[in-house]
Amino acid sequence: METTERNHIIYAIGEGVVSPLGFTASTVYEAVRNGERAGRAHEGTFGLPEPFFASLLDEARLKNAFSALWDYGCDGYTKLEMAAILAANQAIEEANIAPDRDNVIFILSTTKGNVELLEDNPYEPERLYLWHTAQMVADFFDNPNTPIVVSNACISGCAAQIEAFRQLRHAGYRYAVVVGADMLSKFIISGFQSFKALSPELCKPFDGSRRGLNLGEGAAALVYTIDDPGTELPAGTLVAEGEAICNDANHISGPSRTGEGLLRAIQKATKGYDTSRTAFINAHGTATPYNDDMESIAIHRAGLQDIPTNSLKGYFGHTLGAAGILEVILSAHALRNGIVLASAGTEEPGTAADIHICLETKPVQGDGFLKLISGFGGSNAVLRFSITK
Amino acid sequence: MKELIEELKTEIIDVLNLEGMTPADIDENAPLFGEGLGLDSIDALELIVLMEKNYGIKLANANEGKEIFKSVKVMAEYIKEHRTK
Amino acid sequence: MGKHNFDIESYCRITNDKVVVNNELLMQKGESGDWLADIYHHIGMQYPKFFKMDHLCKVGTLAAELVLKDKTFDRETVKADWAVILMNSASSLDDDRQYQETIRDRENYYPSPSIFVYTLANIVTGEIAIRHKIGGESSFYVFEHFDGARMDELVARAFDDNPELNTLLCGWVDYDTDGCDVLLCSFIRKESKESSENIAEYLNQLYKNQ
Repeated sequence: METTERNHIIYAIGEGVVSPLGFTASTVYEAVRNGERAGRAHEGTFGLPEPFFASLLDEARLKNAFSALWDYGCDGYTKLEMAAILAANQAIEEANIAPDRDNVIFILSTTKGNVELLEDNPYEPERLYLWHTAQMVADFFDNPNTPIVVSNACISGCAAQIEAFRQLRHAGYRYAVVVGADMLSKFIISGFQSFKALSPELCKPFDGSRRGLNLGEGAAALVYTIDDPGTELPAGTLVAEGEAICNDANHISGPSRTGEGLLRAIQKATKGYDTSRTAFINAHGTATPYNDDMESIAIHRAGLQDIPTNSLKGYFGHTLGAAGILEVILSAHALRNGIVLASAGTEEPGTAADIHICLETKPVQGDGFLKLISGFGGSNAVLRFSITK
Repeated sequence: MKELIEELKTEIIDVLNLEGMTPADIDENAPLFGEGLGLDSIDALELIVLMEKNYGIKLANANEGKEIFKSVKVMAEYIKEHRTK
Repeated sequence: MGKHNFDIESYCRITNDKVVVNNELLMQKGESGDWLADIYHHIGMQYPKFFKMDHLCKVGTLAAELVLKDKTFDRETVKADWAVILMNSASSLDDDRQYQETIRDRENYYPSPSIFVYTLANIVTGEIAIRHKIGGESSFYVFEHFDGARMDELVARAFDDNPELNTLLCGWVDYDTDGCDVLLCSFIRKESKESSENIAEYLNQLYKNQ
């Protein structure tokens, strides 16, 4: 919906994060603020013959946290399910809503779900199906509605938030719990290795010498709600203001050389909007040569080249289905504090078009930010948010 | 060399799913990418796998492939020199 | 029932034994072992890239070809007023299983990039977008079962939310161990008016009638 006149507002009332950098949104924000980077070299992990860099969740820590939440322990839950439930639980508790009511809808963003079970599945065969993963999450909270899975490759996290907005606008729900999660496995790492897409070191988004991406594990959740436009919101509330998804119609794995789809999505999501309000752009910034070039071209073509732009991938890697949610949460924290976070790993920006990459955390003006994301299948999504004063 | 070139053509058609093509349709001197067979970046990555699987040659990145995958003939020459199986 | 702002322009149903397009039986499965290639040849499609795709993309691409075969439209330029929104149950599991075979065995470990690229459910929306130059939204959802009411809702709100949208390809495109299960429709915008038509029920009928 790119029209500026709306008869409602949609805003976030709860957030949750499970990341190698911490098990709440605030601790992860603090870690990022302090410049911590979770990427490590791994050798022999998942039985992979070749080493790789990635940010992995500690399974023991995850199990401890889950056991503290659930009296029956973690038997019967996969790592992905536990992380998704933990993140959702934090968001639901903060939102202070009753998840078992029928005015709540659960939306899961994941690219690969429990795909590692293809190697060895001690559970029932349905566990490989993404709808089943979503059902496990919804069932944990005794939610009566059929959950929705959004699986749109790397843009899933943003697409799932867009789905939440639509459910709130059209389907009569009062609350949407959006959870994004993906765990790494031999399946996913080997595939990215076969694509020669992984960096042999910590990733360097938008850097002239970037050599590829780091993958990361994580789960993130947001609870959104809908209200009348005049509703008084507490200061610091994350308000959804614009969104768009556009396809490049160009190539299934290579980003458009002209940034066509992303440019259209930026234009749609910012139509009728005074872009001088934009404090920063949180880009996808995977640190692959092609993605970052494409984003720089689209940002430049949209006339946003002077707006401070960052990528958060240097802190915790590309978290796939969680990325679009996790990065929105952290961007919201930053803007509440009036800053833009440094693009960790970037030393010398070097992209096809010149844009303003943030090398260090610094104060910013403006009350809004843009989240950009692009992925396989040629899809691009843009979300526009503001933070209430 | 001739034999290797023919073998390669058959393998390329097979791993890249070039439907309806026969080895005779591939000019060993024609460029594999761009104009020639119209292959794309995923095909290049699959050719890297072919080099390793069938000939024991490991290429570190796709850029190395660019020179080697110029034509079937160039590929065959490279394989002849570097093969370990 | 209620207000409708779209029409079903055309539909295609592909199952393991037949292809139905707009109430007409287009073909039935013969003896050949490759059903999807048979459909490709039967409809005279010329698209070598088809043979590089996984099953899910193949069957989605065929269905899109069939729903659009009689439509007059600009095939050369990217159309921002077109969108493609698909759903299924098995996401890309059929291709996931094939990719897993390339990495299962330590002694014969050759992860295949051309199989891996299809291990994402939404690649089929990308393939259809490329083939028909669709530059608007592309989205993919996963549900356990087909549900006409769900599809009706997705279509109605897509036209509501996006005033630019004129043509939408939307449907169920599934491929799993038991083969293919597809109902794809093309929807076009019309002026919103009261109608007694029950689109959800109609879609359920199309799906059930095979």
